[in-house]
Amino acid sequence: MPVTAMIIEDGDNVATCLEKVAKGGSVRLMLNGKMGKTLKANQAIPYIHKICIKTLKKGEHCMKYGLSIGVASKDIKVGDYIHVHNIESARGRGDLA
Amino acid sequence: MARRNGTGATSKRLRKTWWGYPRENGDVGARNYLLLLSGTLYANPTCERVARTLRHSVALTHPLGRCQIGPDIQRTFETLVGHGQNANAGAVIVIDHHREEGCTADEIAHEIAKTGKRVEAINIREDGGAIDATAKATRIGMEMLRELTNERRQEVSLSKLLLGLNCGTSDTTSGLSHNKATGWVTDQVVKLGGRALLAETTEMMGGEDVLAAKCVRPALGKRIWRMVEEMEERILACGVDLRGSQPTGDNMEGGLTTIEEKSLGAIQKAGSAPIVDVIPWAKRANRRSGLHVMDTPGHGGESITGIAAGGSQVLIFSTGGGHTINHPLMSTIRITGNPLSARLQADTTDVDVTDIFEGAPIEVAGRRVYDEVLDVASGKMTKAEILHEDNAFAINRIGPSV
Repeated sequence: MPVTAMIIEDGDNVATCLEKVAKGGSVRLMLNGKMGKTLKANQAIPYIHKICIKTLKKGEHCMKYGLSIGVASKDIKVGDYIHVHNIESARGRGDLA
Repeated sequence: MARRNGTGATSKRLRKTWWGYPRENGDVGARNYLLLLSGTLYANPTCERVARTLRHSVALTHPLGRCQIGPDIQRTFETLVGHGQNANAGAVIVIDHHREEGCTADEIAHEIAKTGKRVEAINIREDGGAIDATAKATRIGMEMLRELTNERRQEVSLSKLLLGLNCGTSDTTSGLSHNKATGWVTDQVVKLGGRALLAETTEMMGGEDVLAAKCVRPALGKRIWRMVEEMEERILACGVDLRGSQPTGDNMEGGLTTIEEKSLGAIQKAGSAPIVDVIPWAKRANRRSGLHVMDTPGHGGESITGIAAGGSQVLIFSTGGGHTINHPLMSTIRITGNPLSARLQADTTDVDVTDIFEGAPIEVAGRRVYDEVLDVASGKMTKAEILHEDNAFAINRIGPSV
């Protein structure tokens, strides 16, 4: 059984996996209650964490809710686990100020 | 008659009234407590002794009221006044210790009296020390409670409700489920002439444009931008990376990667209601129907303390991780859409909206939350209220102790 992953806005880079996903496990995308295509997870993804559904180049904004949630700190492929290891906040960065 | 809808079963039409205690100034209380309000930390035990003795009373205590300066002591003062004025307090006894500066029981009581409710000030030294002051407050309080408990709830419209909105221990389920259900409730309350109060400035970072677009006047949008900018400047001035503090460790464990992501989930609580005012921390909200926005920090206890001082009688606390948070005076309803948290924190979860992830429309979950809001406003106790989880009275500080 593939794990369902919810997309919020069409065009977002990420979807939220509703169960944990094993490395190589399949993830079925859902947008507005409609099921879409199935992806393979390139790494294990913890419970309710995010999977990349649209390639990101280093420095590009990662979109969720149709808005930026931060910047890719490295190139990210479809199926990659997305979290603090590859996305950085652009706000409140006193360490860079 | 009020329909008691404890099962959460939904009817076709939304209820348009609730049952509360009307006050002289036009406010309506969801509770009719006697409030023992401490003016300074040295009066805390006296307030607590009296509250332990008197059934149906609540003590608000804190470590402040001494050796604070300027805007910081003013903020403490306004917070205490705001709680005394909150319609959930039917009568108030303010207790201080000796001679306080800028925050005396007399000054606090003077401001609270403007609402028309009964208020008394007690000074521990002048009233003969800790034991005599306790006895005096207990006697006065008993008489106040005889009057309060002889009052009856009356049916009032939604225009008398100021619904507080706050989220906490957010995770990726927040923006998808419980915050969305909360946003649905916000929209219904505002459509029926009521008010909602959104807060948590840190969690507007990244969502300023979305909020500014909801404002009825461009000047209000500018105030939101400025308020977030000031918060970010204070963070930057600390010279550290916000990550780890915002998002917090539990936010990141819950899959939230950045403050922007947390914010965009948090502002779902606003629904699509128009923003009609933007106010500073603990300032009393005006009576205009719509969504009001208050400048509060992400700290849950401080944020909901600001909201209670603003006049909210009931608050939806929308949480990913589940929570015990509860304001002692303002009824706090905890809801979650995270199935794991609904199980682990069932003891203090009032409404479970996990069915959203099984395909239930937001409206179905939203109606359940709406019914709970009106039930609690009309007297139903929340789980944490029953458990005395009185953990979230926390006054925000903007200056040093001196």
